[in-house]
Amino acid sequence: MMQAVILAAGEGSRLRPLTRSKPKAMLPVANRPIIEYVIDALLENGIRDIVVVVGYRKEEVIRHLNRLNAPIQVVVQERQLGTADALRAARPEITEDFLVLPGDNYINAESIARIKKEQNAMLVAEHPNPSNFGVVVIRNGFVREIIEKPEDAPTFTVSTGIYSFTPEIFSYLRTNEIPDALAAMIAAGRRIRAIPADDWQDAIYPWDLLKLNSRMLRGIAPEIGGTVDASVIRRGTVHIGAGTTVGPNTVIYGPVTIGNNCNIGSNCVIMPDVSIGDRVVLEPFTYVADSLMMSDVNIGSHSRIVSAVFGQGCILADHTTTYPSASFIEVGGRVQKEEFGAVLGEGVRAAPFTIFKNCIAGNSVTIEEGKTVIGLIEDGTRVM
Amino acid sequence: MCGIVGYIGRRDATPVLIQGLKRLEYRGYDSFGLATVGSAIEVYKKAGRISDGEAGAADLHGFTGIGHTRWATHGEPNDINAHPHMDCTGTIAVVHNGVIENYRELKRQLEGRGHTFRSETDTEVIAHLIEEHYEGDLLSAVNATLPHLKGSYAVLAIAEDTQRIVAARDASPLVLGVGDAEIFAASDMTPLLEYTERVIYLEDGDVADLTPGRFTIFHGGREVERPVELIDWCVEDTRKGGFAHYMLKEIYEQPLSFYETIRAGVNDKVQQMIMETDEITLVACGTSYHTALIFKYLAESLCCIPVRVEMGSEFKYFTPPLHGLAIAVSQSGETADTIAALKMAKARNCPTLAITNMPGSTVTRVADETLLMRAGPEIGVAATKSYTAQLAALMQILNVRCEGVFDEVLSHAHLAISDILLQETREAVALCAKAEHVFFVGRGAFYPVSMEGALKMKEISYVHAEGYAAGELKHGPFALLTAETPVVAICTPGPTYDVMASNIKEMKARKAPVIALGVAGDTELAEIVDIFIPIPNTHLLVQVLTASVALQLLAYHTACALQRDVDKPRNLAKSVTVE
Repeated sequence: MMQAVILAAGEGSRLRPLTRSKPKAMLPVANRPIIEYVIDALLENGIRDIVVVVGYRKEEVIRHLNRLNAPIQVVVQERQLGTADALRAARPEITEDFLVLPGDNYINAESIARIKKEQNAMLVAEHPNPSNFGVVVIRNGFVREIIEKPEDAPTFTVSTGIYSFTPEIFSYLRTNEIPDALAAMIAAGRRIRAIPADDWQDAIYPWDLLKLNSRMLRGIAPEIGGTVDASVIRRGTVHIGAGTTVGPNTVIYGPVTIGNNCNIGSNCVIMPDVSIGDRVVLEPFTYVADSLMMSDVNIGSHSRIVSAVFGQGCILADHTTTYPSASFIEVGGRVQKEEFGAVLGEGVRAAPFTIFKNCIAGNSVTIEEGKTVIGLIEDGTRVM
Repeated sequence: MCGIVGYIGRRDATPVLIQGLKRLEYRGYDSFGLATVGSAIEVYKKAGRISDGEAGAADLHGFTGIGHTRWATHGEPNDINAHPHMDCTGTIAVVHNGVIENYRELKRQLEGRGHTFRSETDTEVIAHLIEEHYEGDLLSAVNATLPHLKGSYAVLAIAEDTQRIVAARDASPLVLGVGDAEIFAASDMTPLLEYTERVIYLEDGDVADLTPGRFTIFHGGREVERPVELIDWCVEDTRKGGFAHYMLKEIYEQPLSFYETIRAGVNDKVQQMIMETDEITLVACGTSYHTALIFKYLAESLCCIPVRVEMGSEFKYFTPPLHGLAIAVSQSGETADTIAALKMAKARNCPTLAITNMPGSTVTRVADETLLMRAGPEIGVAATKSYTAQLAALMQILNVRCEGVFDEVLSHAHLAISDILLQETREAVALCAKAEHVFFVGRGAFYPVSMEGALKMKEISYVHAEGYAAGELKHGPFALLTAETPVVAICTPGPTYDVMASNIKEMKARKAPVIALGVAGDTELAEIVDIFIPIPNTHLLVQVLTASVALQLLAYHTACALQRDVDKPRNLAKSVTVE
């Protein structure tokens, strides 16, 4: 019987401000935390002995895992020192050959099927921006070298962070990072097979969540819970959770998923690639497209929300606009230029007629009426 | 207190009973025992906790059995006083939750007739009485026994030569679970959740005859129908999952249970009750008493209605003149004192309302109307999510009375609770963990919040803690302040802010270390105190919630730092069903 260790202890600080109350693995895409997709892929492969390493905001993760119908062991990594240290925390639970997977990347079942038979192997993937990852140099199908986050990447092949190991790996864990252990194994003459993943997706920066979200929305199942007015026009795959009400003349074009106990007003338009969490309120005449809203978001009437990620509990008054554009923003020590409307942390409050333009607003930011906000805004700022 | 469980059906009874007793352990945990009917009655009983692994030694046979986990009332907790109790012949076994008030008299009579008693418990008389009436029919023997008993009981009885359990209740809780060719009986529904979602709440005076796959309920000698109800609690809620303690899990469930309680709303009849009354009396015990006091401060200041709060235990014997709506607040719905008080209010023609977490519990049948809190099963002995859910229910009453002005505040309150759960308390915990005494002070609605903070601290960490109204400190307790007695002060904006701040300075002048809870961004307060714990700057109603949750975290982490048994503090049980 194969075991699996899912690493879900890290915060994912490049996704700040969205990681204030939950680690990256718990960020919802298409209304399910990323870690659930990983667990699904394992279960589909018959791997049921799953250990999850938790750390940052562990209560949030544990609470969620308890609700899943899967026998999951939880171990705690007290300080987030690195992936190898996390793996050491799981050691007492490991008795067999096992897989290691990051809990905060999407992976499909087919990829797992490719690696689960191997003893020492890693899944690799091609990525257009390899410098955010460990770049893998392969020779004859075996890993020759891993270069962590290089400025100039020699290839576009990157490590997915998914490995197949035997318990022997524990004797190579001398530093706090798994790639160092791999290097030590290679130096000791062990061979590590590099296997291309079938489908693997990572979200490094907040705006990447939008791509991941629209990708995951392809897989949702149609369902209409709650109360949907007869005049509502639906097209494509639409999921509406229990206890949600959708008012008259609202138009929903799937793929769209809406959580439980939401209140979608009349005459709203929800365009494709939208995920809406639980207890969200959209007031009438609001337009939403290509966006991800977490739970407890309230949006006033006559708003236009495009290409936006809203953290839990944002309260935006009427006539809020998110306006997609691209400008230079410094995130995680790198200057980036990416087109998106807005990324709002938890509990952002905006007065009527606020325009967000390519803006990342921190947690608990308050914006007074009629402002156009651009670029990076620190946590707790009041924009007057 | 005490929990009982019974099983009859197609499975081996022992594991079902042990599992059930583990779920009921919050009702008492000083001894436990089981009895099954196989070819003969087999009994296993032991002082100690069922979860300490002792239960593994129980290897009893049979598909019919009863079990008990005890919170000692009569006789010290030892192997002999543990239930089940047997008759002289060893062919009848009973478990019992409640108190037989006339057991001395019955015991004397029975001893006079030659019965030998082994234990010091009140329960044993039931076994001997059944023995006297037993002529091959357990049901009629139990029926003949019950009229002799005065007091409260939920009883399960088995006999050697029959595959049946006879269950009876009067003033102690008992529910039946109806499975597929199997029947369960238990003090509450938590042991049943794993097997069935169909339950029957027995009424006082009911006697049920349980055989594999069949049950018949009698009341006053006549067969009666009791509705089978579906429960919506799920078994996941009774599991600790990956959390270190139930209490921590339940602390983290508070945003959701608060939200669910608010969302469930208030039905029209209750609304009418609230609107029509011109005075409210609340009766409650323990933590519920604190939520009731908070309600008093909030309701009197925000909707100008006179509110009186009484402790259940006092109210029963010293009933004040009563007028207007009477509200009983009890998480379990089985708190004996609160129920007795509610009956007094009813006898005086007051409209009565119950606020409880347990659908079908005794208090819901006594009261005219019920407002349910949606906390789900709470296993940790220290009340946490039931406390905030109670506040949710009480704040709804406030909101109804104020015609919905707090709709917005209440519907967003759970976010502020989520927020405070991220709060770091390490420094404050270090201070409390090395203290012998901790004082909690507040004013207005924060006075009962500080009382609750003190209660949490003492019940799980065993650090002596007292809650005071800040102004009262100078009338005595000030004499106790030293550099080794931390004071936890709640100081939020409002009419008492300035006087509270000067109180804090007075304490600082006596060198007492001060941990202050104030709103985020209050730098002035942060400067004068030793440790500042910010709570979100929101409406008063929400501050009450967040301050309470911050104090729960403080108590929890202090208890962990002192390595206490957080979920099962010594000498305590969750629901106090004896007076």
